[in-house]
Parts: sequence; structure tokens; C-alpha cells
Amino acid sequence: MSDNRITVAGREVFRKLVIVPESEDWRMHISVEEGASADVTLLILPGISCTADFTIEMNGPKADCRLAGIYLCPENENVHINVEMLHKVPQCTSRQIFKGIVSGKAKADFYGKIVVSPGAQQTEAYQENHSLLLSDTAKSNTRPQLEIYADDVKCSHGATIGKLNEEEQFYMRSRGIPQDEARALQMISFLSPVIDGIPDPEERERIYAEAEAAIRSGFLK
Amino acid sequence: MNDILLKIEGLKARVEEKEILKGVDLTIRRGEIHAVMGPNGAGKSTLSAVLAGKPQFMVTDGSITFMGKDLLKMAPEERAWAGIFLSFQYPVEIPGVSITNFMKTAVNSKRKALGEEPLNAAAFLKLMKEKMAFVQMKPEFAKREINVGFSGGEKKRNEIFQMAMLDPILSILDETDSGLDVDALRIVANGVNALRTPEKSAIVITHYQRLLDYIVPDVVHVLKDGKIVRTAGKELVAQIEADGYDSIN
Repeated sequence: MSDNRITVAGREVFRKLVIVPESEDWRMHISVEEGASADVTLLILPGISCTADFTIEMNGPKADCRLAGIYLCPENENVHINVEMLHKVPQCTSRQIFKGIVSGKAKADFYGKIVVSPGAQQTEAYQENHSLLLSDTAKSNTRPQLEIYADDVKCSHGATIGKLNEEEQFYMRSRGIPQDEARALQMISFLSPVIDGIPDPEERERIYAEAEAAIRSGFLK
Repeated sequence: MNDILLKIEGLKARVEEKEILKGVDLTIRRGEIHAVMGPNGAGKSTLSAVLAGKPQFMVTDGSITFMGKDLLKMAPEERAWAGIFLSFQYPVEIPGVSITNFMKTAVNSKRKALGEEPLNAAAFLKLMKEKMAFVQMKPEFAKREINVGFSGGEKKRNEIFQMAMLDPILSILDETDSGLDVDALRIVANGVNALRTPEKSAIVITHYQRLLDYIVPDVVHVLKDGKIVRTAGKELVAQIEADGYDSIN
């Protein structure tokens, strides 16, 4: 178990890109203090099975957090992602976006909870989880939860599980794009809202390259 | 040289359990523009989808030969490489894929299939710029996601732009005039006319006369209830406009 405890304080900006290196469980606990911000992107590549736990405590006013993740599970991976986003004080903002592609006999679960404590007014907290399910034997579960104990807040969650759009595929093929290439373009574009949110341009390019390579070797066989 | 480009014989096709094309015969020679007209539900869009190879449409009988090859055995992308282009009645939105990336993949896939080297970045951008100007698209168009947030006119201009980029031998325009104002119609029609050569052909599928005022057909067919019921010269367009499809049986 890899365990990371981080406190971000004093207008500091904490940025972290986590590429889970091997199949071991992984935990991160971040406390974001007044005026500070945290930006974490998680990448789980094909072949990795793990549980990734995030606990984010928004502990000081005007703290901000972006938490994002991609999981690519083409074969028989077993991935669990658990998020607890805890808004404890007023005027904090958080945005979560997790996207996964699941195929073969893989299984991916996302459990995401947003808790807004009593008195944590003017909280803005958003969460999205979207999965592409590409085989009949793959499984994907999504369990969003909102627990809100304050009345002046903006919170939302959205979750979808879908397939690749066949109308898009035919459109691309009619232009001479081979089916596998069309599928690769669709999968990359599906992930792009996560990758485009990575603040550092070099890191963004690197993750695009990693994701594309993983899609081609994992999902287009 | 055989100047027959496309030969459709006894074509029957269905979607799910419903038979839509009930025996279509159509021959197109090089350099010809054919209009296929007909009332709603006659099978016009089915015909274009079958020509482009849309998987949901099942051909149950008949044959289609394109440049001597059995078209029905070819995947949609192989048909594109062979020179068929379908301008969609309802172009599909593809969020997250830019026009530039999409066209680069399309153009270079075709080049690869034909045994040609991929275009380098400079040559590709030059081609993009030239063809965008051709349909009066602004430079920022290249960065936009395919058809996302496009107006009706922009979507159709985007189709003609893609047609110009891919330089097809047989273009099929499926109700390209629907939803266009007069200015957009003129841009689209001028685009199509500028691509005409003695080697290339087009099928213009339409409900109305107005597009055919700009793109003048050599041959006009009327499709009704899954069959071509009349074939004549361009004078047929005026008769349809005056008397309606009920006058033709």
C-alpha cells in the first residue's frame, strides 16, 4: 500500500500527476488550507489492478481542488476508485472528473462522495464519472453520493456508462478513416476533457501520448 | 475505356424488417450528373446510405458495380478510397475531434491505401487552406470540433469542404440543399460545380428544384416507393415542380 499524506497551505499550489506504477493499492489524503489549491490527475494504464482512495479535506476558506482520473482496463483488470471530497468550511470549490474505458473481462468501480458540512456555505462542488463499456463481459459501476448539510451551495454530479457511437464511426469511415482508427479517435476524444484540464502543457502532451499508446495496444487488438 | 462508372441492378435493401428499396436500376457514366428526386419516404436516403456502405442497411438482392468492382463487398472506408463520397443529409457531430485532425487522418488513410506517402504538415496545411477558401470558411474553422455548434449552412459547407479535400470520383449529395438559405446554397453549388471534370460524376438527391437550378443535371430519375419510375432529361424537373410527384407513375 502506497500512502501519501499532503497538506497544502498558504496560497500554495500543489500539482501532482500520478501514474499508478504497478498493481498495488494506493491512497492519498490531502488537506487544502485557506486560499491554497490542489490539482491531482490519476492515470491507471492497462494491466494495472488497484484500489485508489482519495480523501480531500477542504479545510480553509477559498481552497480549491481539481481531481481528475483516467482508467483504461482492456483485459481482466479490477480497478476501484474511491473519492471522499469533504467541504468543511465556506467558499471552497472542487471539480472532479473521472473517465474510464472498460473491455474484455475487466471490472471498474467508481465510488464518489461529496460531503458539505453544516456551515460550509457558498461551496461549489462538481463531480462527473463517465465510462465506455466495450464488451458484454466487462463491468462498470458508478456510485455518486452527495451529502449536503448547508443550504447555500452549488453541487452536482453526473454519471454515464455508454458505448462507442456507431453514427460517428460510419461518418468517419465514409471519409476513408479505417474502423480501428475511427475507434481510436473516438476513445481519445472521450478522454480529452480530462487530459485538457491538466495545467502543464508538457504533461498534457505526455498524457495524450500515453493514453493513445494504451488505447492502440489495449483496445484495438 | 469503359465509361460506365456505376451500375446498380435490381437493388433491394431493407432496414430492420422494412423493405425500402424494391428493385433499383441505375447506370451512371463518367462526367454525368444524375438527379434522384422523389417524395418523402421513397428511399432516396436509403439509396445513398447503401452506396456508402452504412452497416445498418441490409442489401437483400441485386448488385452494385463501381469502376468494375463489386461495391457491396467493400467496407465503407474502402469505398471512400475507391473514390466514393457521401455528403450527409444530417452531418454527425463528433465532440473532441478537430477538423484538422480528422481530415489529416482521412486524407492520409486514403493515401496509404493507394500506396502513396502521407502528406507532410506543410503540404497538408496548404491543401486545407486552399479548400477552406473554396467554401468560404474562416481560418479558425480548422480548429473547431467536427460539426459541434455548427449552423445548418456551416455543416453543409463542411461536407463540401471535405469533398474537395478527398477529391472523389463519384459524389453523392444527399439533400444537401435542405436547411440552406440562398447564400449558403450558392456557395455549396458553386463548390460542387467547380469540382466537375469529364472524369467525375455526381448523384444529387433532392426533393426540390432549387438546387438543380445551380447544379444542372444530365439525367433525372424519380424514385417512388423504392423503385425508379421515370428517367428523363433535365426538363423533367420543371414538370415535377409544376405538377408534383403524383403526376409521375
